[in-house]
Amino acid sequence: MIYARCNRLPRRHVLIGILGSLVALLSPFFKVRPAYALPEKLIPLIREATGGIQPKAGRVKLTLPALAESGHSVRLKVQVDSPMTQEAYVKQIHIFSERNPRPVIARFSLGPRAGRAEVNTRIRLAGTQQVVAVAVMNDGAAWLATAEVVVTAAACVEGN
Amino acid sequence: MKQLLKMSRRSFLLRSAAVGGGLMLEVTSPGYGSRYCFAAADKSPEVTAWVLVQPDDSVTIRVARVEMGQGSFTGLPMLVAEELGCDWRKVRAEYASTSEHLRRGRVFRTMLTGGSRSIRDSQDYLRKAGAAARLMLTTAAAQQWGVPVAECVAANSLITHTPTKRQVSFGAVAAEAAKLDIPEDPPLKDPKDWTLLGQPAERFDIPDKVTGKTEFAIDTKLPGMVYAAIAQCPVFGGTLKSVDADKIADMRGVIKVVPLEDAVVVVAKESWWNAHQAVRKLPIEWDFGENANVSSDSIMEFLREGINLEKAPVSRAEGNVDNAFAAADKTVEAEYYAPYLDQATMEPQNCTVLYTDQRIDVWAPAQNSEATAAVTAETADVPVSTVEVHKVHLGGGFGRRGLFIEFVRQAVTIAKTMPGTPVKLIWSREEDVQHSRYRPVALVRMKAALNESSEPTAWTVRQADHSIFSAIRPHLIRDGVDIVNVRTFADAPYAFPNMHMEYAMRNTHVPPGPWRAVAHTHNPFFRESFIDELAHAAEQDPYQFRRKLLAQAPKDLAILDAVANAAEWDKPLPEGVHRGIAVQDAYGSYTAAVIEASVDAEGGLTIHRVIIGIDCGYVANPDSVRAQLEGSVVYGLTAALYGEITIKDGRVEQSNFHDYQMMRIAEMPQVDVVLRPTGGFWGGAGEPGLAPLAPALCNAIFAATGKRIRSLPLKNHDLRKV
Repeated sequence: MIYARCNRLPRRHVLIGILGSLVALLSPFFKVRPAYALPEKLIPLIREATGGIQPKAGRVKLTLPALAESGHSVRLKVQVDSPMTQEAYVKQIHIFSERNPRPVIARFSLGPRAGRAEVNTRIRLAGTQQVVAVAVMNDGAAWLATAEVVVTAAACVEGN
Repeated sequence: MKQLLKMSRRSFLLRSAAVGGGLMLEVTSPGYGSRYCFAAADKSPEVTAWVLVQPDDSVTIRVARVEMGQGSFTGLPMLVAEELGCDWRKVRAEYASTSEHLRRGRVFRTMLTGGSRSIRDSQDYLRKAGAAARLMLTTAAAQQWGVPVAECVAANSLITHTPTKRQVSFGAVAAEAAKLDIPEDPPLKDPKDWTLLGQPAERFDIPDKVTGKTEFAIDTKLPGMVYAAIAQCPVFGGTLKSVDADKIADMRGVIKVVPLEDAVVVVAKESWWNAHQAVRKLPIEWDFGENANVSSDSIMEFLREGINLEKAPVSRAEGNVDNAFAAADKTVEAEYYAPYLDQATMEPQNCTVLYTDQRIDVWAPAQNSEATAAVTAETADVPVSTVEVHKVHLGGGFGRRGLFIEFVRQAVTIAKTMPGTPVKLIWSREEDVQHSRYRPVALVRMKAALNESSEPTAWTVRQADHSIFSAIRPHLIRDGVDIVNVRTFADAPYAFPNMHMEYAMRNTHVPPGPWRAVAHTHNPFFRESFIDELAHAAEQDPYQFRRKLLAQAPKDLAILDAVANAAEWDKPLPEGVHRGIAVQDAYGSYTAAVIEASVDAEGGLTIHRVIIGIDCGYVANPDSVRAQLEGSVVYGLTAALYGEITIKDGRVEQSNFHDYQMMRIAEMPQVDVVLRPTGGFWGGAGEPGLAPLAPALCNAIFAATGKRIRSLPLKNHDLRKV
């Protein structure tokens, strides 16, 4: 069904979790790849970020626009379900890009005194892709969320 | 919302769908896609998303890109219809809905119009869309007859079972065909079998434009609509400090003043004129920021710094230029300049927005309706699924509204302050000229070496210009080189054995943007004028000089030859008339031009004839390509003769067509178009035609006067003979 294919993203992905159906239900707007499929090239980076712990899907909410005018400045919000107390807090939030020349977009270090497990920023995206947010908790556990962003193309630009 | 729906064609269609029963959800709740929910007005089924066939055999073909005068609204359906095998006389075009596109997983691929890409980028999937629909219709007919599909052929909207000569029309089997799976990779016709593509076709958009029926975004009228006029900070990068809204509160129709970060808007009832008059009287204080002293002179100094830098990022290096210059018999050195230019679309920037709690409707003359949806959603902070972008023909685009649609952001911001009331923002012509996204200024120094046999041996280029993409598409900057801005040089087909080219990025505070042909507007002027200088230094005919340098570039050479032949280059012209020539490849196509001009004793220039040729590989609608080249002559010569945006006190000095002049009809030369499609590839047609015009003209002026024009526009030059 070539006419129904939503984008030309690579299919080389591996399974690492099970959140697909829920996310698919929440995202009727775009045909998304299953949320548990992560770009292969990000796997070692994520492993490095979590110290080898396999992140589970959940507890992280990653908000990005489904459609971005350009990849120049895209709003991003990450919220993690955490009380942010001395006993239980988010230590780090990592943002990964599937297609940017530098796949590690950002690393945020947090502590209980951050108060809220939430970061807001703007990021650059080199085209339509999947973005992955990984939260590492103080107990070593890691959680993740993914989002698909469609970046509308540029006018009058040759090549690329 | 109900009132709105009564207004538009789209809404008529939605209403009909709603009245049809069972589809009410599609109207009220974007987000529930169904195969038929966006069928044509009479509810005939889609065969595929691209093709709708109605019971009377009429065919609707959806167009994802916008018509901005370039003819895609006709050319794109031709690609589909060729493979569909329908009767072209029964075809109409309809814009694909942006929201439907998004809802259905970007079923129409891209909605972007720019880069001379509409035909060449979509030809493959559009022809396949036509072929797929034909296969589905044929299969439906075969199933009805109980015969093998292979025995059925489709042509002229009829399917024929070859052995029995039974026939059925497309319309009769469309509903059944629509139920079939869409074939994955349908085979395409051999181009030699095309009957529609490559033949001139009348354009769908022209009759309504000629009779004034076409509704552009600026013509949008909605019940209860109010009007917005804007004043933006005259100095780029400045901000609004304060505004005395009370001063205009009593003026006719004024509803309110909306301050924005770098602009202020007056909203008024009854007419845009009311808002415009009020905003002109509005006392505004600006914070001009740090650029209030920038002038064209200071920008020139800044460019010159770039030219004089000891080192700059290298865009091309071949051989050893130092050795070649050391051994040179003769060297030629020159510096060229091109100014800022405004796209000056005939329809100024405007945008109409109706903001409600449920959805946002937007009418905008934008080259990418997906981007319009994205900007609307972001500005209003709503999901993009609640945005409906109404697609309309554009009153010109020229790159102005491809990447930069700040007028959409402004209109949505205003409309959000008045939910339920449609707001139409129009920029005055003055705002439009003074707040454009300008074709960047550029200064270039070139040097070349000739050996004793007058053969060119080395070429160096140092460019200093403003990178459009450094701020918005950083991946187009590689090691300090803007890979778009260096085109024409870094990819020049001329066979100099030694070349060294450098690029010095000089970004000013003046906002740059794509201007029809982008870098292929000024760079070809520089390159092709300089090649002419070199030919004269080598005491060779400029055409023959180019021929030798293009021996390894057969397509450039072929179009150069075709144009030179059409211009009868070897035959003398009438007394006083002289020729110039130029060649360029751009946007996947190959173009060349010969211009015949004369200069009288007072320096008055007459352009008698332009012979312009293109090889764009395959041609969808030759009539459109011809019109694109003719239009390029108007646009390109306008820029060469008059186009100049200058900066004083940080702001643009020009404001309207009295000081940003267009070429007039009396100045229009005869244009002879040479179409030489050689097949085998798909090149663009909207932009490449601009490339050879300015250099061909300036080379003709040199032939006429002995004066070498090294900066544009020509209005600044005294053309009297030296």
